[in-house]
Amino acid sequence: MSSMKRYVVVRGLQTIFTLWLVLTALFVMFRSMPGDFTSQMAVAGASEEALAALRAQWGLDEPLYVQYWRYITNLAQGNLGESPVYRVPVWEFVKMRMFNTFILVAPAMTFTYLLGALIGTITGSKRGSRLEKLGIIPVIGVGSFPAFFLSIVLVVVFASWLNLFPTSGMLSAGGTELETWWGPYLTADFGIHYVLPFTAVVCRYLFIPSLIMRTSVVEVMGQDHTEYHRLTGLPIGNRLRHVAKHASLPVLTIYPVSLARALGGVVLIETVFNWPGIGYALVEAVLGRDYPVVQFVFFVVAAFVIISNFLVDLLYGVIDPRIRVED
Amino acid sequence: MPARDAVSLPNTEAFENIADHHIVRNFVGGLRMMLNDRTTAAYFWILVGITFLGVVGPMLAPYGIEQTQYSETGQILSAAPPSINHPLGTTFAGYDVLSRLLVGARPTVITGLLGGGLILTIGTSIGITAGYVGGRTETILMRFTDFVYGVPLIPFGIVMITFLGVGFLSSILVIGLILWRGGARVIRAQTLQIKQYPFVKVAKATGASRRRIIIKHILPNVAPMAIFFLALGVGYAIMLQASLTFLGVASPFTPSWGVMIRNAFNSGYMSQAWWWSLTPGLLIGITVLSTFMFGRGYEDLITADSESVEADTVAA
Repeated sequence: MSSMKRYVVVRGLQTIFTLWLVLTALFVMFRSMPGDFTSQMAVAGASEEALAALRAQWGLDEPLYVQYWRYITNLAQGNLGESPVYRVPVWEFVKMRMFNTFILVAPAMTFTYLLGALIGTITGSKRGSRLEKLGIIPVIGVGSFPAFFLSIVLVVVFASWLNLFPTSGMLSAGGTELETWWGPYLTADFGIHYVLPFTAVVCRYLFIPSLIMRTSVVEVMGQDHTEYHRLTGLPIGNRLRHVAKHASLPVLTIYPVSLARALGGVVLIETVFNWPGIGYALVEAVLGRDYPVVQFVFFVVAAFVIISNFLVDLLYGVIDPRIRVED
Repeated sequence: MPARDAVSLPNTEAFENIADHHIVRNFVGGLRMMLNDRTTAAYFWILVGITFLGVVGPMLAPYGIEQTQYSETGQILSAAPPSINHPLGTTFAGYDVLSRLLVGARPTVITGLLGGGLILTIGTSIGITAGYVGGRTETILMRFTDFVYGVPLIPFGIVMITFLGVGFLSSILVIGLILWRGGARVIRAQTLQIKQYPFVKVAKATGASRRRIIIKHILPNVAPMAIFFLALGVGYAIMLQASLTFLGVASPFTPSWGVMIRNAFNSGYMSQAWWWSLTPGLLIGITVLSTFMFGRGYEDLITADSESVEADTVAA
């Protein structure tokens, strides 16, 4: 397995290098943006001397490489810095918000991909039938609406008119105090707030895995081994299981990227449902030039994509030995 | 030199023969092929209809978009349900929804065409350059594409808008600067294939310049795929612009359909005055769906080989 070991080491080093590159790129990008967090205070009428003092206090008047070095050394010690706008450590500010977004997006996207793979397999296996041609159109149709509009429709119909679910928020105000931080996530109250945002995520993204899986299934159905299975008289259910297994690689590849993108894209759904996630906080942070927060959140999302691509590559290397050879 | 003049004189004949020009012939042939397919034709006519609405919509609007409507008794028609005078009802401030919808068609069409055009131009340029030039240029361009590919769309769009300044046109520019990524990948792959064909090698052997080969041989052969990405780009641009508008980072003064939904949502009268946000939302959805389905139908017709580009197109 030495070639496999080599493959892991090479790809691992590449991954670490990419992470560093992204970290640096984000640093440079946000420092070169027009204005800093004092811009809005200037608009509010703060004096020029007070702003200069504030910039000096936060080290914004020093050369870029000094700031960069401080940023990297702090980061190495696990210090993410402080939000100059909210005056709290970045980690304190983002941790619960990120968790709230993650707990909405990760299960919803996983469910979306499983359901999409199922829809893709069913529609793709009936080649040339009405089901293949028309079955996918409702899925694409729903996915063509902007996420915020889907969410608004869900709120108006199921919360306001039918009164089945709460219109917004993650937990009812004035709920019972729980001792642990994860306690609220296990209550029925959370569950009932969870249904509509979850549905919105599924509706918005379902067409992606469905279409990719359908195309992939159509391709695999045309290959010789499928025909062989048909000739051996294997029942249709078993045959579809074989096909789905072969056809699932493209869907698997795009899953982590899709998940990471949804972490950013869910901001629209969070806004409509007033979900206390990172999405809306990020929009506010960008507009308020709160760089430490923005930089960290962007880095987490980017790192998520990079690391999961690394894991998918490894998985590929295990499944298909030809890929281990350096590209 | 009278003989030469005689050759270049008959301009009228050249004009008559314009229908024989290969570009016109291909265009007409392609259009006919597309319109013969019933589904693709249907989506095509929907898109033509919406574009037409973008041109004439503001002229058809029965009222001004900021003209407060009054009832017969002189009260402001605030969030009035659909009636004969106001077929789509009125907004909370008493504006006519139908008028705003008709006027809002224009910014939406402009967003689609400009955004789609930018996506097409940047994506095709990067794809062809990377595919044809190869070497280090290709590596750098494709690593850059990979980077843009992993970027979360909406947060990054907002960052770029703060760079360029909030506005209608800057939001379109931002869309173009991000969404070219899917097209660049596929067009590069196509260029790599075309580069291997004998006619390109022959052209190179006879001393054709790089520019000539790209314009005369590569471009016409990637054009169908580029048009497919134009169709998708139009849809994605409209969707993303509406999303940025909804978050309040595109101009709220351009009365697009996205602004209508944002206003309805912010008013807090969403559930009571459902007619306010329903029609703009439906129109955005139908437009995006039509571009997508038209693009797919078109791609089905033009690609003989079943090379799958699904992963790069769907997840743009």
